[in-house]
Parts: sequence; C-alpha cells; structure tokens
Amino acid sequence: MQLRADIQITSILKALNDVVLPAIDPGNQLAQEQARLCMGLLDLMSRQLPLQFRFDVDELKRLANLGEALAEAAGVSGSTETVQVDTAYARDVLNRAQAGPSEVLAATHALRASTSALVQEVCGKAPCQAITRIERLVLDASREQLLRDRSWLLPQRWEPAPDAIPAIEALLAPAQDEA
Amino acid sequence: MHAQIDKNKPSAQWIEHLRERYPTEKEIDRILTRRLHRRSGPGYSPLALQTLVEGVRGLIQARHGEPFEILEPRWLSGGASKLQMAFVLDWHRPEVGRERTRMVLRMEPAESIVETSRLREFQLLLAVRHTVPVPPVFWCDDHGEFLPYPALVYGFADGVTKPSAATGNVTGLGTRLPEALRAQLAPQFVDHLARIHALDHEKAELSAFDVPRPGTQAAEWMVNWWERVWEEDCQEDAPMMRLAAAWLRRNMPSVDKPAIVHADFRVGNFLFTEPDNRISAWLDWELGRIGDPHQDIAWTTSRAFGSYDERGRFLVCGLIPEEDFYQHYERASGRRIDQRALHWYKVMNAYSMVTLTLSTGYRIACNGKTHQDVLVTWLMGISYMLMDELRNLIEQA
Repeated sequence: MQLRADIQITSILKALNDVVLPAIDPGNQLAQEQARLCMGLLDLMSRQLPLQFRFDVDELKRLANLGEALAEAAGVSGSTETVQVDTAYARDVLNRAQAGPSEVLAATHALRASTSALVQEVCGKAPCQAITRIERLVLDASREQLLRDRSWLLPQRWEPAPDAIPAIEALLAPAQDEA
Repeated sequence: MHAQIDKNKPSAQWIEHLRERYPTEKEIDRILTRRLHRRSGPGYSPLALQTLVEGVRGLIQARHGEPFEILEPRWLSGGASKLQMAFVLDWHRPEVGRERTRMVLRMEPAESIVETSRLREFQLLLAVRHTVPVPPVFWCDDHGEFLPYPALVYGFADGVTKPSAATGNVTGLGTRLPEALRAQLAPQFVDHLARIHALDHEKAELSAFDVPRPGTQAAEWMVNWWERVWEEDCQEDAPMMRLAAAWLRRNMPSVDKPAIVHADFRVGNFLFTEPDNRISAWLDWELGRIGDPHQDIAWTTSRAFGSYDERGRFLVCGLIPEEDFYQHYERASGRRIDQRALHWYKVMNAYSMVTLTLSTGYRIACNGKTHQDVLVTWLMGISYMLMDELRNLIEQA
C-alpha cells in the first residue's frame, strides 16, 4: 500500500503551510493558533509514527521487568496474582512481537521489487509455458491483494459499487494467525 | 537485498539508461528527461499572483509587441495538474481591434502528475480550432523563458463541467448528470470525438509530434512512455504492473491510419453552456498525440469516468450506455471499431492511469513538487481500483 500515513501527512502539512495558513485572517488569533497547533501535532505524528511500535514494545519490556520485580518484592498480597498474570501475558505478547512494522514494510518492499523484476524478466521473453503459469500466479495474488487495497480505501468513496467490497476487518487475517 | 536507485536524486547514467531502454517521441523524451534532471532541485514554493502577472507581461511584450494592459488577475481552481490564473487583457487584437479579452494562463508546477509539453498542447489547440469547440489559444512559453515554469495563454471559455445540482468527486470524476441533460450532451460528445479523429493531421502544424509508422509503432511508443514513467517514479513496485507491461508488448495492435487523439476525452474535460446545453469547449489536450483512435474510445469507457443510470446500466462518462456509444461513434466516424485493439487500449489506458496516480502522484508529493500535493495524494487512492480494472481486463483477454 503506497498511500500511507507518511505521504499523507507530508502533503497535508504542505497544503496547510502554503495555502491554508496564509489565508487565515491574521486578526483571528484563535484560528491562527489552532492552525499552527494542527500543523505541530501532524509534524509530531509524522516523527512518532515510524517509532511508535518500538516505543510501545520498549515500554512493555520494562513494565514486564517491573511487574516481575514488584511481584517478587511484595510476596503474597491481594494484587500480586493479577500482576503475575498480566506480566506473563506481556511476556507472551513480546515473544510474538519480534519484528516491528518498519521491518515488515521493508521486507514487503524488497519482495515486491524482486517479484516484479522476476515477472518483468520472464514475461518479457518469447511466450512459453512458464509465462502462462506466472501470469496465473500473479493475477490470482493481485486479485486478493487489490481487494484488500480497495477495501482499505473505501472511505474515499471511489468505488461505484462499494457494497460489493467486503469490510477490511473481515479481510485481514487476525494477528495471531499471521505466520 | 537490492541495490536501491535513489529516484529522488537520479543519476545521469540512470537517466540515459531509461532513455535508451524506452524510446518514444522526441518531445516526450525531452520533457521526461528535463523533469529527471530537475528532480533533485527545489520543490514548488507558493508564487505571488504578481509574479505570474509580470511573467505574462513579458511573454505578451515579446510575442505581441503592441501596447496592452493586464487587468483583474485571479487564481483559478480545477484540475489536478497545472496552475491557472484568469485575467483580462486590454489590447489590440489582430483582425478584431481594441478588445478586452478574458484569458487564462496555464502553467506547470515544478513537476506535474502528468508531465507533458506545453508546446504540444499549444499546437494541438490551434490544429483543432475549426473542428471542435476549443478555447482560442494565444501564446506559449514552452521553455519557461518568461514565467517560472513552461506555460501557455488561452482564451477563457464560458460554460460549466457539471450542472450545479449534480454530485461528483474532485476533477469531475463520478459526476452524475440528469437524464434530460445526458440526452442533449451525448450526441455532441460522440460527434466531436469522430470529428477529431477525421482531422487530417498532415495538414496541421504539429512539429512537436512524431507520426508513427502504420503498424505497431503507435502502440509501442505508448508502452515505452508509460513504462518509463513507472520506472522513474514508482516507490513500491508491483508484479501486476510488470505483468501488464509484458502483456502489452506481446499483444500490440496495428493502426493503418494514425489520427489525432485527444487522450483525455471524458466528462470533466468539456464545458457546456447551461441555458442551451451546448458543448462550448474541449479542454486538457496535454496528453494528445498522433496515434490510434481506439485509445480515445477506450479511455472514455473507463469505469473511473462513468456512472450508472436509474436502471443500473453503466454509462460511458455518465452520458450514454456503452453499446450505444460504440454504435453512434461508428456511424459518425465511418470507422470500424476493432474489439481486439479496443481491448488493448483499455489495458494500456488503465496501465497509464495507475502509473500517473500511484507512482507519479507519490513521487511528486514526496518531493513537494506541486501547488496541490494534498490533491495528488488524495488521488493515489483511486489507483487500486484502477489496477484491479487492469487485472480484470487482462484476465478477460
């Protein structure tokens, strides 16, 4: 998916800075201030988004360490069992959260590039059985991915028959099933 | 892992490699090469209206040479690719006399979602002016000698792209027109297309265009043009696009008699006057070329430009059922529509639309190259529907 938050925020900020902000009445201080705050928050968001997942994982690791240490230090008390259950759950989540979103995205980009190069190389040759097979594989894989891409972008209202596209929640595999 | 090419700072070697790998018309090559050479330069910064007024003044002084005055300059919105300024020129108009003429300056940003030649647009508007309604075109600054970027000046045309009561998306896409209006506009729409295709391009001054040899050259130039743009701009590659390019090369149709092609002939690109519902001007000739008329026929029938009528039938450009459109065009033009060529151009057009919305849209917004990056970013969202249409078309072939 190319239409991601990073490019959206970049273009929103340029529009706000180049067009919207200069058009706001300089005498309307509330509007001026809030427009600048909107831009500030968007800028903050663009810096945080690439690191948000690592930030959360880092926090959870240290919280799990704290939870274990606290449960040990407190001994038996009313809340110890809850802390132990939540710490165990956090350890399990951390075990499953070994690759971050930026790594997933980098791997996606790499595989898109190499599969595209392969298709370009093989399909550019004289017709043969391999081309037919490769075309079938790409068309089938593209059908599934493009259905999700279209569903993801339904709020933009491009689709002439939006009811024919399933909701993105129904199309995405649950996180636990991802392998 | 892969050796990455920095497409935001393209090397001279990579540019030459692309030029050699994807040969196309000379003027297309010139403008694509120019944008790559400029890519690592500054993005687009807001321009003062006065800057454009001064640029227009310099252009008219150089071309017209008689006293004149520029009045009432103002920004115009509309379209996703060019900056536009309306103004009134108080001047001595040749063969008319003293006149106050409403005009429009149409100028490129630093990079456009559709990188095209102002000179080609200028020449094409002149070539078709007695064939279909178009705005009068006056002057061209094709190298940005007077204005910050290449530009042309044409006359302001009266009319609207959709009735005030209609609903639609940005750039005129998804417009729904009332049945009575459709009945009046559709025959003109088809007739104008037939007239453009019947025009003898050899008698027109079209020096910025190369004429393809009869055969597959028109098709090949078009694949090369758009595959080159995909290569130059895409961030995330797509196996589907590579498959499509290979399919297009394996199945190129022949054209015996190349004709002038508008290349963006659709709702949203013509104006009509509301009291009499007459088409008053055809706009946006920037993608025009000498090629295969099937390109236009296929373009107008894209799902992205159409809508559905009260009975659920798909309407070409929201105007006319698809089968009726084909029949009326054949009757008006005397040309026979070849279904295989038509299908190929549907695939080709879908490929080019995905390329410009998804890859160029991303690249120019990423580098802050336009006056409306937020709009081209918004338009990226339509590309997945278009790519699925591309996939469907190849499946059907």
